[in-house]
Amino acid sequence: MTRAAPMTELAWLGATLLLALALTVAVTLPSGAPPFETIYVLFKGGLGSVSKFGRVLAVWVPLTLCAVGLLVPFTARLWNIGVEGQVIMGAIFCTAALRPYDAGGAAQIIIALGAGVLGGALWALLAGLLRVFGRVHEIFSGLGLNFVALGVTLWLIFGPWKRPGVASMSGTQPLDVSLWLPRLGSMTVSWVGLALALAVLALIYILLLRSEWGLKLRAVGENPKAATLFALGPRRRLLQAFMVCGGAAGLAGAIQVLGVYHRLLPAISSSYGYTALLVGMMASFRLGPVPFICLFFAVLNVGSIQLPLQLGLDSSLSGVIQGVMVLSVFIVHGLRLWLRQRKEAG
Amino acid sequence: MIVLQDIHKHYGRVRANDGISLTLEPGRIYALVGENGAGKSTLMRVLAGHTRPTSGSIEISGQQVAFLTPTLARAHGVGMLYQDPLDFPAMPVWENFQLGAPGRTKREVIDVIGELSFRLDACFLPDETVSSLTVGERQLLELLRLLDLGATTLILDVPTTGITPVQKRDLFDLLMKLAREEKHTIVLVTHKLTEALEMADAILVMRQGALVSTLTPPYDEARLVQLMFGDAADGEGEGVPGLSDSGPVPRLRLDDALMAGPKYSMGPMNFSARPGECIGLAGLDGSGQELFLRGLCGLDRMPRGTLSLDGKAQPGNDFTALRSAGVHFVPADRLGLALFPDLTLREHIQLTFPGHAADMDAFYRSQCVERFNLRAHPDTRASELSGGNQQRLLLSLIHDDASLLLMEHPTRGLDAGSARQVWAHLNDRCRAGATLVFFSPDLDEVLDHSHRVVVFYDRAIAAVVDRAQATTEVVGALMAGKDPRDVLGETATGNSATGGGPGGGR
Repeated sequence: MTRAAPMTELAWLGATLLLALALTVAVTLPSGAPPFETIYVLFKGGLGSVSKFGRVLAVWVPLTLCAVGLLVPFTARLWNIGVEGQVIMGAIFCTAALRPYDAGGAAQIIIALGAGVLGGALWALLAGLLRVFGRVHEIFSGLGLNFVALGVTLWLIFGPWKRPGVASMSGTQPLDVSLWLPRLGSMTVSWVGLALALAVLALIYILLLRSEWGLKLRAVGENPKAATLFALGPRRRLLQAFMVCGGAAGLAGAIQVLGVYHRLLPAISSSYGYTALLVGMMASFRLGPVPFICLFFAVLNVGSIQLPLQLGLDSSLSGVIQGVMVLSVFIVHGLRLWLRQRKEAG
Repeated sequence: MIVLQDIHKHYGRVRANDGISLTLEPGRIYALVGENGAGKSTLMRVLAGHTRPTSGSIEISGQQVAFLTPTLARAHGVGMLYQDPLDFPAMPVWENFQLGAPGRTKREVIDVIGELSFRLDACFLPDETVSSLTVGERQLLELLRLLDLGATTLILDVPTTGITPVQKRDLFDLLMKLAREEKHTIVLVTHKLTEALEMADAILVMRQGALVSTLTPPYDEARLVQLMFGDAADGEGEGVPGLSDSGPVPRLRLDDALMAGPKYSMGPMNFSARPGECIGLAGLDGSGQELFLRGLCGLDRMPRGTLSLDGKAQPGNDFTALRSAGVHFVPADRLGLALFPDLTLREHIQLTFPGHAADMDAFYRSQCVERFNLRAHPDTRASELSGGNQQRLLLSLIHDDASLLLMEHPTRGLDAGSARQVWAHLNDRCRAGATLVFFSPDLDEVLDHSHRVVVFYDRAIAAVVDRAQATTEVVGALMAGKDPRDVLGETATGNSATGGGPGGGR
């Protein structure tokens, strides 16, 4: 594959956006929504003020953690669809680690973050073990484990960890303010979360593209049988890939608990795991575009809150637009491939 | 009569076919020879309608066309027999035969098969599944099918790989009959010059996309080689390196070894090989030689018996332990099993020789370019390499201290020039003390390059034959299941069914 000129790339990107726009219009019109106003409201809702942008960043952090985490198993051609459950497990472990403390400081927060990473990694290891030793495809085991993780959260919230007197969907007893992640100025996003997301981004860049480990993982994904002949230990490496991804997702879960909701709730993951899968697909699982697509999706996510308020539309419309974006990327990509093949065959 | 005029086929800058004009007359057998990438397959695909030429014209049964489609080619009686039979193994013979034919009842189909088989001295049970047939029988069935569809021009792409000498004889007799008695046109694409010299009324030599010459009998073999390979064809010594009397400790020794693969198990076997020895494995597909190699390198299990390397027992034939003890396995399916299609050459080297990360470019030049004549940029992906270069890459990935080389079909898909290079290298390795155990479906290759030949039949070692005795007839008979005592006479070792042999040191 040759790298096309930047101008052509840009033209194709423009074509993708135009197609996405056309499809959005086609989807919104029949539902009675004014398409351009809908898009305007979405973006203004996400970027209209500093506080709104802060909320966007608060979404960006877990989304990016999950999305870059997913690149690791995908390098070995694994679809870690269980990333959603790994976020939830991270949140559960994080909450569990803080149960003994009524108040605390940096030390407790670090322990809680570490517990989150551990929870996500172990949950991912489970899917990995099922894959490597049980020959259960990771998509099925991952999906199943997502439901199990959700079930465990509900049980904890309505059972052992219920608030004194009331057990409700609003979650466990809120954490003491001393255990919250410090905020960035007046914004809702925590600078700790932001720094951690950037650090993980850099770490995964080095791991995948600059290290021997990444090369070997790529080789394992490329041809597991040859990897056996090269003595690359394919099984061990697949498990490691799962755990790295699970760790990043668990960290996202812990940040959701410590920095966003300050408690464990059933919707703690906000479905960021599934959204991250969309991000990964849209980026064709390359690291470069991931942070930007995450930002874009975060804007859509935050902006969608304004839809019911200003236009009386359901906020799930932004999910539709996200799906349309991914679809457009696929269509344009397929079109390019088809054109190239025709040119070569002709 | 088929006339090809000035056929060009360009893929980007590559000229696979560069102005080929050719006339094929009925009742004649043509052999199409040339090294890998000479454009033989492209030309035949044009003729069978699978590839549309860039320019040129084709005259077929009096009609002038710019290109053929598979349907059109079939309507004009062109049929192609591929190297791997294009059939459906799970389906019975008669259903495979009926594919692509006009609607008939099963009874009618069976009658047609019977009639054709009688005419061509073949025998098929219509209800048997194709998976139970040998490669040779499947080819024959495919041939019958093409004839039934009205093929008068038959293109055979390397048809003699993986069949016994007897089956090959039968196939050639059949082709001869079709050409002489029924006035069919036969085009035989082959890598083996002996076949071309033996069979063909005319030899078409292709080189770098062009038809360089059409030879007619009497043939001059030296000139043919010269035409095919140009000056690169310097006659390097064939055969096997000399075997010195090295100490009493065998390189490899199997004692009552039982090997178990995913489909079947084999054994108990006793066998041993000396340092520097070349052991060729002969046998029809699925006779056990595949399992033997995979068991020796630890990819398949060895539940009983012992495997010793240089006198040291290797318990449980563990792959990693054997690999670090110097056992190196090179599978025949290069892209499927041995290489990473989407990784570059540089990355392959990096994975194999992690110590050379710093001086990668220099190491690449000395290891791949100079030693193995691998002329490709280090950033090329493995999938973009030709078969010859893939094999060169695989050879360059073998550590120098590998003492037991296990190779499946070392020259699969390689032209004679590349094959000679591969064997020159392997012989060097053996001269340096490595032991080679290899398998090839090409019996001539096995006989040419082995000190001893291990013949497999019906998932067991049928006999171990010394180089002096190993002729096509003897090994062919053993491969087909003849009793070793009848074939080898009194010299057959008493326990030949379980291995042993003069060099065995039992």
